[in-house]
Amino acid sequence: MFALALRLARTRLTASLAVLVAVLGGAAIVTGTGVLAESGLRSHLPVDRLAGAEVVVSADQTVQPSADLAVALPERGSVPAALADELAQLPGVQSVVPDVSFPAAVLDPAGDVVATTDPVTAGHGWSSVGLLDDPAVTGTPPTGPREVAVDTEMAAAAGVAPGDPVRVVLAGRTSDARVTAVVPAGAGVLVADDRAAQLAGQAGTVDLIGLQVDGDAEAVADAVGPLLPAGTIVSTGDARGDVALPEAAAARSLLVVLAGSLMGVPLLIVGFVVAGALAVSIGGQRRELALLRAVGTTPRQLRRLVAGQATVVAAVALVPGIAVGYLLAGQFRRLLVHVGVLPDALPLTVGPLPALAAAALLLGVVQVAARGAAWRTSREPVTQLLADSRTGPRTPSPGRHRAGLLLIAAAVPLSVPPLLVQSPIGAASTSLAGIVAAIGLALAGPLLLRRVTGGLARRLPAGTSAPAWLAVANLHGYALRSAGAVTTLAMAVVVALTYTFAQTTVIDATAEQTRAGTVADATITAPGLGGIPAGLVDDVQAVPGVEAVAPVSSTTVLWPMRLLGEEELSAGPALVLPPAGAGVLDLDVRDGDLADLTGATVAVGSGAAGARDVGVGDQVQLTLGDGAAVEARVVAVYGRELGFGSVVLSADLAAGHTTGGLADSLLVRTDGDPATDRALAGLTDRPGVTVSGGGVAGDRPAAPPEVWINLAVIGVLLGYLLLGIANALVAATAQRRGEIATLRLTGTTPRQVRTMMRREAALVSGAAVAAGVLVSAVPLALLGLGFLDRPWPSGPGWLLPATALVVIGIAFLAIELPTRSALRSPPADALASQG
Amino acid sequence: MSTALAPATTAAVALRQVTKTHPHGVRALDDVTVEVPRGSFLAVMGPSGSGKSTLLQVAAGLDTPTSGEVLLDGTAIGGLDETRRTELRRDRIGFVFQAYNLLPALTVAENITLPLRLAGKSLDRAWVQYLVDRVGLGDRLDHRPAELSGGQQQRAAIARALVARPAVVFADEPTGALDLHSAAEVLDLLRDLVDDLGQTVVLVTHDPAAAARAHRALVMADGRVVDTLDHPAAADLAGRLVALREG
Ligand SMILES: Nc1ncnc2c1ncn2[C@@H]1O[C@H](COP(=O)(O)OP(=O)(O)O)[C@@H](O)[C@H]1O
Ligand SMILES: [Mg+2]
Repeated sequence: MFALALRLARTRLTASLAVLVAVLGGAAIVTGTGVLAESGLRSHLPVDRLAGAEVVVSADQTVQPSADLAVALPERGSVPAALADELAQLPGVQSVVPDVSFPAAVLDPAGDVVATTDPVTAGHGWSSVGLLDDPAVTGTPPTGPREVAVDTEMAAAAGVAPGDPVRVVLAGRTSDARVTAVVPAGAGVLVADDRAAQLAGQAGTVDLIGLQVDGDAEAVADAVGPLLPAGTIVSTGDARGDVALPEAAAARSLLVVLAGSLMGVPLLIVGFVVAGALAVSIGGQRRELALLRAVGTTPRQLRRLVAGQATVVAAVALVPGIAVGYLLAGQFRRLLVHVGVLPDALPLTVGPLPALAAAALLLGVVQVAARGAAWRTSREPVTQLLADSRTGPRTPSPGRHRAGLLLIAAAVPLSVPPLLVQSPIGAASTSLAGIVAAIGLALAGPLLLRRVTGGLARRLPAGTSAPAWLAVANLHGYALRSAGAVTTLAMAVVVALTYTFAQTTVIDATAEQTRAGTVADATITAPGLGGIPAGLVDDVQAVPGVEAVAPVSSTTVLWPMRLLGEEELSAGPALVLPPAGAGVLDLDVRDGDLADLTGATVAVGSGAAGARDVGVGDQVQLTLGDGAAVEARVVAVYGRELGFGSVVLSADLAAGHTTGGLADSLLVRTDGDPATDRALAGLTDRPGVTVSGGGVAGDRPAAPPEVWINLAVIGVLLGYLLLGIANALVAATAQRRGEIATLRLTGTTPRQVRTMMRREAALVSGAAVAAGVLVSAVPLALLGLGFLDRPWPSGPGWLLPATALVVIGIAFLAIELPTRSALRSPPADALASQG
Repeated sequence: MSTALAPATTAAVALRQVTKTHPHGVRALDDVTVEVPRGSFLAVMGPSGSGKSTLLQVAAGLDTPTSGEVLLDGTAIGGLDETRRTELRRDRIGFVFQAYNLLPALTVAENITLPLRLAGKSLDRAWVQYLVDRVGLGDRLDHRPAELSGGQQQRAAIARALVARPAVVFADEPTGALDLHSAAEVLDLLRDLVDDLGQTVVLVTHDPAAAARAHRALVMADGRVVDTLDHPAAADLAGRLVALREG
């Protein structure tokens, strides 16, 4: 059976090639996504600064919802300092190193900030050298408030050595100090331990406790476990890397979310392309299959044979496909780092799991699709089959048609979420709705096409040329085959339109809300210092012409929601705003007042509030970015949720729950006088301070990162889809040699054959564009209504014409080239080789 | 042998010293000279591989001879390009093959009138009606080929071959895929058309019973015409074929 399968696969080269390419691309996409998912779960940041402590005790930076994946928290949590003494008593523990961190920066002699990777947590106590792998210290420990130690990189950049004076900015305060020691790279800026605790603003708590142990770290970790209070974890080995930088570790979990959201649509498309290629390939073998049935192959054996044959081709394609997938994941990681959502330090986990998953998944899809495509051929009576296989077109089944119409109808409710939830998640359902409708179109296509072309054939004017008439007759007669071409091309149109417009609409709507909501006209930041330095607010306030100023930060908040009776927990961005924020941001407050943001209060977006049924005056339970559970009173409900997030925390509530504790930026509203702008620009004299025009709330990007990532994904996906379509179309056209030969023997000139095929290409691509636009129209209209209050989306105007051109170009090329090749051989030969 | 036939000008088709060498050096036709008078029914017989189909394809302008001349209705068709040859075929020649004669996407009526449509000619309704009645498909015009029996398909193919009133109808084993009864029907139809319409027919077959309906039968072997029988009897033909196989 295997040898027979192999031979059959060989005799249908173009069709096998189409299956091969479909599986190869599919394997690449699934493997790539799998690598991202595995990395999100298992990859670790380098241990770096904690390498000298074999066991690390820290706050648990994850929240574990009942069923779902753990949510990683980006803000540094803390553990009781008293725990250190307890842990020191344990057997095997050599020494115990409590660690705290605070924003710190070193200035060079010119007064410029020395660049470091993470100024927000660069400052530590002296004892943290004990965490280092290589405690090579030159100099003496700093004591008192005017002494610091700096790491070698900073020392080199600032040009200082032990004994030299240096200007430092510690927790937002600039001071003159003396360098007492130079410590290994990555250690940051170190001060005396008691001062570090002060600067970190932590009394009785520390960020983490490192244990240097004798012998087996795991044994010590096991002994530590029972001593820990709730919400505290112990880490050893590679896991320590995640503990060092919670923010970077939280970014890692983005990979899981991403892979999850990536899985849906690409998997649908992979299934669609693979099934399409197999349908063409198996359709081209109906004659052989009918003969096999005639000589006694049972329906089951036939399906096994067809599936076996497809599996052979798929297996050949899997190896390079998987290899490409690993490369693709690497490219993707680079993109994520570039967009700034993934720390560069985080490596990908390259294991065999994604390859195995891709192989299993693709082989499964191939088996199901092949058996499905062979189903009818395997079941029909042999006599019927033989008659059919010689004379061609089958009638599309009404059951399939109804299923297709049902799917198209189901796409309408799937398009509704953008009306309810103005978020990237809401927008994601637009492309999903489009694709579901396109799959429905693929099912209902043959009968729809038969009706449309039937009507067209009846309405053709009397003078229609023979090729044009034949083109219509072919589309009508071979509805199943032609609909395959039309609907796959329509799928490309739908994916291009819905996927791209969903992203661009979110980007534009977000930008529009941010623009409309920001009444500030200048933004002041100090990224090199780890946040806005102390006193800068007052100084800005004192500038003549400044009407309002407010420090703004962004953090992460978990606001649980009951969805379909289940607790949904997902981390969302949140602004941190003082009461003065009302003067620089116009969040479109519907109820309450932002000026009431004092104490344990929040303002919430109207959509999020509606979904949870809360209003002004209600108490809400939130989990802050460091894992602290808080209860807060809602003081305002606002409309510009897309631009500013669903939750705004009062600065009082967030205090102590953000890493570093300094504000990300100052938003400033002025009287608009150029003199005021000049005076503000003068603030850049201060080390590390930058002033830019316009207002940007916090360090929020113009649109959520997943939007940009989705745009990159669509490129890969469309390329794959179009390649698959072109291949299937070439294979389908190549299978029409016999038909072309019969036409020529009947007296059709080569020119008439070419004209006929071009007319078909025109009709097929025209129908595809029309169907694609029609099917996308409802989801896109609802998207526009939800996000922009108008029934059309926002995005590049060239997208539709460009998509149409590509689809038309592919249809013409994929039909023209095999037609030319078929016309080159004498028609009698072509017929002889058929029968 | 062929010198006994009518003068060249009256022949519907004539092959003069035609040689056809296929790639790999197979000489499928070796210096063949044949004339088919108008209104005559010629059967071409011979064992498999003897060059029958090649003869038909060269005579019909589907293939070009390696050397020699082919005249259709007195016109040499050598030197015409593929488009001109196609147009000539469309206007002057009808074909019936063993299978794949009809386009599955078209109805019977559309298949039958396709040559006229391709040539941009107007439809002679009375003629078409006459043809479909003659082939017995008057009630099947809106059916697709898949809904017809093999014999009905071949009869539709014959109607299509005749619709443009060709000079010659070429049929290459048109009954090869049919049961005996249907085959007899198709062959009788061909003979009737010759008798009633004066249609010239060239029939390739290896069935002596089929060839027995012709005015004349050529027997081929190894690319040559080795025998010519006028008003052949099936038994005679069968004898020649057996002799060829044994010799
Ligand atoms: N396209 C071709 N290429 C090479 N050889 C061919 C081709 N067509 C036919 N032949 C050879 O020419 C000879 C005559 O073939 P054909 O005319 O088909 O015979 P018949 O129809 O009598 O069975 C055979 O030996 C056949 O193998
Ligand atoms: Mg033959």
